[in-house]
Amino acid sequence: MKKTILPLLFALFSAGSAGAYDRSVLAEYNDLYKSGSYQSALEGYKEIAVKEPYNPYAFYNAGNAYFRMNKPGLAILYYGKAFRLDPRDSDIRTNLDFAMRHTGQILVPEGLPKTLHYLYYFFSDLELRAAATSLWWLACLLFSLYTLKSGLRDKLRGTLLASVLALVGALMWITARSSSAFENAAVITAEGSAQLLSGPGETFKAYATLPEARLVKILDDTDDIYYEVGIPREGIKGWIKKTAAEKI
Amino acid sequence: MRYTFRLYIGLIIASLVLLAAGPAAAFLSISAETDRESVEINDSLNLIVTVSGDSASVPEPNLPQMNNFNIYSSGRSQNISIVNGKITTSVAFTYILSPRFIGKQKIPPIPVFDGKEKYVTREIEITVVKAASTAQAPQPQTAQKTRAAAGAQTSLKPEDAIYMTAETDKKAAYPNEQVNLTIRFYTAVSLTSNPQYIPPQFKNLIAEDLPPARNGETVIKGVRYYHTDIKTAIFGIEEGPAAVNPATIIAQVHKESAIDPFDPNFFQKFFSLGAGEGETRQIQSPTASLRILPLPEGAPASFKGSVGNFSLSADISPKEVKTGEALNLSITITGKGNLKTITAPTPPDMPDFKVYNTISSLDISKENDVIGGKKVFTTVLIPRTAGRLTIPKIKFSFFDPEAKAYRELSCGPFEITVGKGDGEEKTFSFTHGGQAAGITPLSSDIRYVSDRAKPPITGTFAGRVSTLPVWINFFPVAAVLLSLWLARLNDFRLKNPMLFRFRKAHGEARADIAGAAEKLKTAQPEEAASILYDSLLAYLSDKSGYKVSGLTMKRARVLLKEKFPQAGEHSLAEITDLWERLEALHFSPAGATPEEGKYLLEKYTALLDLLEKDFKK
Repeated sequence: MKKTILPLLFALFSAGSAGAYDRSVLAEYNDLYKSGSYQSALEGYKEIAVKEPYNPYAFYNAGNAYFRMNKPGLAILYYGKAFRLDPRDSDIRTNLDFAMRHTGQILVPEGLPKTLHYLYYFFSDLELRAAATSLWWLACLLFSLYTLKSGLRDKLRGTLLASVLALVGALMWITARSSSAFENAAVITAEGSAQLLSGPGETFKAYATLPEARLVKILDDTDDIYYEVGIPREGIKGWIKKTAAEKI
Repeated sequence: MRYTFRLYIGLIIASLVLLAAGPAAAFLSISAETDRESVEINDSLNLIVTVSGDSASVPEPNLPQMNNFNIYSSGRSQNISIVNGKITTSVAFTYILSPRFIGKQKIPPIPVFDGKEKYVTREIEITVVKAASTAQAPQPQTAQKTRAAAGAQTSLKPEDAIYMTAETDKKAAYPNEQVNLTIRFYTAVSLTSNPQYIPPQFKNLIAEDLPPARNGETVIKGVRYYHTDIKTAIFGIEEGPAAVNPATIIAQVHKESAIDPFDPNFFQKFFSLGAGEGETRQIQSPTASLRILPLPEGAPASFKGSVGNFSLSADISPKEVKTGEALNLSITITGKGNLKTITAPTPPDMPDFKVYNTISSLDISKENDVIGGKKVFTTVLIPRTAGRLTIPKIKFSFFDPEAKAYRELSCGPFEITVGKGDGEEKTFSFTHGGQAAGITPLSSDIRYVSDRAKPPITGTFAGRVSTLPVWINFFPVAAVLLSLWLARLNDFRLKNPMLFRFRKAHGEARADIAGAAEKLKTAQPEEAASILYDSLLAYLSDKSGYKVSGLTMKRARVLLKEKFPQAGEHSLAEITDLWERLEALHFSPAGATPEEGKYLLEKYTALLDLLEKDFKK
């Protein structure tokens, strides 16, 4: 057991040092971007994103390259990935909002105060899950101490209650976030538009077109060829080919 | 302490005062109106959205999605005024709305966002009514033709009954040269509502709507079609291939059979709205390709990429000023072409003037499907010296695609009379309501790429924690269960002390024997005897459940016999013997010898073995 846990703890606490990409390599890709070689820069950014799946800036930069290449669907896809990793970053928010407006969508729903939207997305999904996990551990360990050490009960009571409340809060936040526009979401990446079918197959009628870059909710992805998707704003749902959209 | 508190209060008050003294918010307003409140289903209405503000440019309204109307941009008209450095701008954006459904239809609030706040118009309700008059179907020329056409109509394939075409009036054009795209929707079947039009996406092109959509009828291969033409002006961006991707029409088609082409109510049947069950059909136009040509060599120095046919004029107001007073130089470019992309002519060198930034206003017209209008560039000048001053010639050039040649226009020079002012040159700036000038947004774009190589530590840590195997999270549960079990055990132990003493008695006696053995090694037989005596009493007390202080040899025998009836007489006799011997040495330790001590140690050890066996029977 000791042999399993120690490497895990090491991997966790070495998070800061690991994952740092060579700055000169990134500068090289940024130079390519600067000179207008967006495709070459994009390949570099994607390479970083594969090596560092928790690096939001790699996704953000890839989104920028796609935007410059006039591929708004893929740009929003990558900005969305970056936003999910670091929703507090001003550059990521701004560019995602810009790209969404550019395609007739909005990041902050109408009528919702910006501050509330900012707070709702203050923590990333991963941070919320990590917080819930850490609080779960803390609450369990405090409870163990509370039951074993009767002499410490008065001192531990407040901390234990606070950790349990924080855990409940984190879980509620995670639940609330499950209905966010970026949870189980996909972006239409097919050039031009994608057809929304009334069933998972060519035999079903196409009753709407979804323009490129449109954000949709994935309701079911068990089919090999089609996603069942919902478009909350219009209140419609249907099936689109998996090749026409990519999950954020 | 008191001083520090006062300092904090002072700082807070100062901050509040500074906040209150911040620049006043820029003024912006938006309104919307339609040219009518009721419209026929086959007609359209004008929606005019007016955005006014006290800055050089105002943001464009962001029309919300309207499924009940097809929307086309029809142009814009701008009024701008500069009085004593204060700017007021009003831009009227005109849209043509074609209704899709009969009944009460709503135009939702239209928002405009100035980067800080959102302003919205009121909701507008429009009544859409049935078409009052319909076109008459052309009369058949001959009976033979009638029969042939009727036959063709009824035997129509579904893909021929409803389709789209996309055509451009030119296959090659220069950058910024207008090309008219016509997307035509043909239908030979009746529709339950006006179809929804989804415009195409463009590659290397920018587009301007050319409303309104035009309707008509035609006969193709003996089949009578109703058609809608949607025109768009497109302009190439840069040399190379360009394309118009497919446009889409979503139409609700009657499930019933095709219409008789010579039915007098043919036209009306296309608008037999809401009658009968509809079937959704989606049709796409083919892709249209275009080649954007390179502009020829030999462009004049003043050429900045304008293409079309323009005229140039300039005006100075007022023509007589004093030093330090502002005058406006307005350069007007009028004509046909993509005025949106025209930039201000480079101003000539004017060392006698202080030149401020230029603002522009734009009017776009779309008469006869030609994009044109007027763009006015206004520059504020402040003469530095008195006398007769000259504003040099202003040059503007463009490429005329019809003549395939560059043209250079000029106006001026202009002379003005500048009187002597009060000696102080006034500083001038474009302002918002008299406050300090803000930043004038020219355009918007995405932010630049990030050069941060390291991902945020919180994100990486969170990523790793959240991807830990699920079973890891059962460890705290195990810890909780273990602690609950231990707590319960502890509780039980506290409630049943004799039970635990019974269990521990043998172990403790063995420990005492080891202690006594140590004493014997160091030649302390009296100490060893004392340890063994105490140990025996403690052992018997633990096993019998009776406290040591009240335990006598006789009571011990009785209690053990009661509790362990299987204990043999021999064992009890051995207890008595050992007890007596140890008691004797305990009370007269001087008689203890090492040999006796060793003997008693062995005897006690053997007795313990014997008793443990008996107790377990």
